[in-house]
Amino acid sequence: MRLIGEGAEARIYAGTILGFGMAIKTRHRKNYRIEILDSELRRLRTRNEARIMLRLAGSGIRVPRLFAVGRFSIYMEMLDGILLRDADIYASHMHSAGVMLGRMHSQNVAHGDFTPANLMLCGRGLYAIDFGLSMMGNSTEEKAIDLLLMKRAVDPKLYKSFIKAYSGSAGAADIIKRSEEMERRGRYQVRTLAAV
Amino acid sequence: MIVLGLESSAHTFGAGVVKNGRVLANEKSMYRIGSGGMIPAKVARFHAENARFVIEKALESSGLGFVDIEGIGYTKGPGLGPCLQVAQLYAKTMARRLKVGIAPVNHCVAHIEITRHTEGLRDPVMLYVSGGNSQILKLVETPYLHYRVIGETLDIGVGNMLDAFARKMGLDPAWGSSVERCADKGRYIKLPYNVKGMDFSFTGLLTKASGLIEHKESNDLCFSLQETSFSMLCEATERALMLTKSREIGLCGGVAQNKRLADMLRAVAEEHNARFGCAPNEFNADNGAMIAYVAEKMLASGFSIGPEGCDVKQRYRSNEARVFR
Repeated sequence: MRLIGEGAEARIYAGTILGFGMAIKTRHRKNYRIEILDSELRRLRTRNEARIMLRLAGSGIRVPRLFAVGRFSIYMEMLDGILLRDADIYASHMHSAGVMLGRMHSQNVAHGDFTPANLMLCGRGLYAIDFGLSMMGNSTEEKAIDLLLMKRAVDPKLYKSFIKAYSGSAGAADIIKRSEEMERRGRYQVRTLAAV
Repeated sequence: MIVLGLESSAHTFGAGVVKNGRVLANEKSMYRIGSGGMIPAKVARFHAENARFVIEKALESSGLGFVDIEGIGYTKGPGLGPCLQVAQLYAKTMARRLKVGIAPVNHCVAHIEITRHTEGLRDPVMLYVSGGNSQILKLVETPYLHYRVIGETLDIGVGNMLDAFARKMGLDPAWGSSVERCADKGRYIKLPYNVKGMDFSFTGLLTKASGLIEHKESNDLCFSLQETSFSMLCEATERALMLTKSREIGLCGGVAQNKRLADMLRAVAEEHNARFGCAPNEFNADNGAMIAYVAEKMLASGFSIGPEGCDVKQRYRSNEARVFR
């Protein structure tokens, strides 16, 4: 297997299964943590990520197809495309991203890192990847963070197209409003109250 | 340049003397915390009673006299208001009498800078862990040189969490070291683990562990509390290291005296072929020398402010302070 990517907590390998390209995301052992805590975390996170991918795929959102799930590994379809981060981003891409996030939030999933680095342009359209920081739940705050992260990552004009598409989804108004509130209260000012 | 630094942000009054970046003296007196935690006014009174002796002792051990001092630094914040005012008052009075420059110093930045100095770190990802603060920081140049907070606690500092737990267990609430001693040979109990990107939170962990005090062995609890909270800190720091592509990790602040935390973070650094640095305990505990060290750099690079402009700020964030080379 060939290593094709490495993050802080997982490595991605390339392989094949029945002639299909396969990506394997493996959460590797962290030596600084005691074994029992480390394996518990890796197991729960792998399971959580796979569950979210299944839920999203089931509701027709474009995510890599899941082949199998191991204790610490997710075996999934290898996408053939380029990261939106590395492409010329057009308003139409941001429109697709906005619609996609709206649908994700309707399924009560917050992505946790919804930026062009985690969106992939493929022949069939835009795919969302990396659900390592995703959460299931109905938290307005978590969903609003998805908007803020995107806002920080692209230029204002593109963000406008994104929000326009996003606002078409159910419950979008509250989440947009919350994201604006969060921005006003400032990332750090809120925390300072508790940090003294 | 010979600079005297005064520190009194929490339970320690410290006086240090630095000459051209070299620490000549570092004296302190520490308030013993009783069962109820720190009462700011009481601690401040303690500092006021001890300040003179600590300053005199620092000068004595550096072999210098009052007239040799060429600049004064004091802790502007963050810290407890009444406590901060003691060092501020002494610094302003002495600066006026001696007619020398005065520099207000950020306490967190002082911990980081002295660590960078003693360990020879150039541009590290710093984990700063103390009672009231737990932050991951890195130097940025724009709009001026300062430390950017890239991750931090969403509620209380890790030291605060360990101390609060020690008090609830009836251990000696001596800055977390009693938890460290008690953790020896403990077994792991599952506790809430809460990292969000490069941020982390500790109150859920504290609540859960406190609720188990009646039902579990104390050394198992202390062990698990340390392992869980330190793993959270290491994971967030590791993520910051990868994101910033830095080649160095630094550890500082009161909790940096914990050997287990230092060992864990060293392991993170080794895994990524990064250098690891943690200053001697003398500088991780609150002290005056680190204040003098930063003040000297400020004054030497032309920073100037009259005693009138010298205030204290209880919530003086580390990213608000300008850093001088």
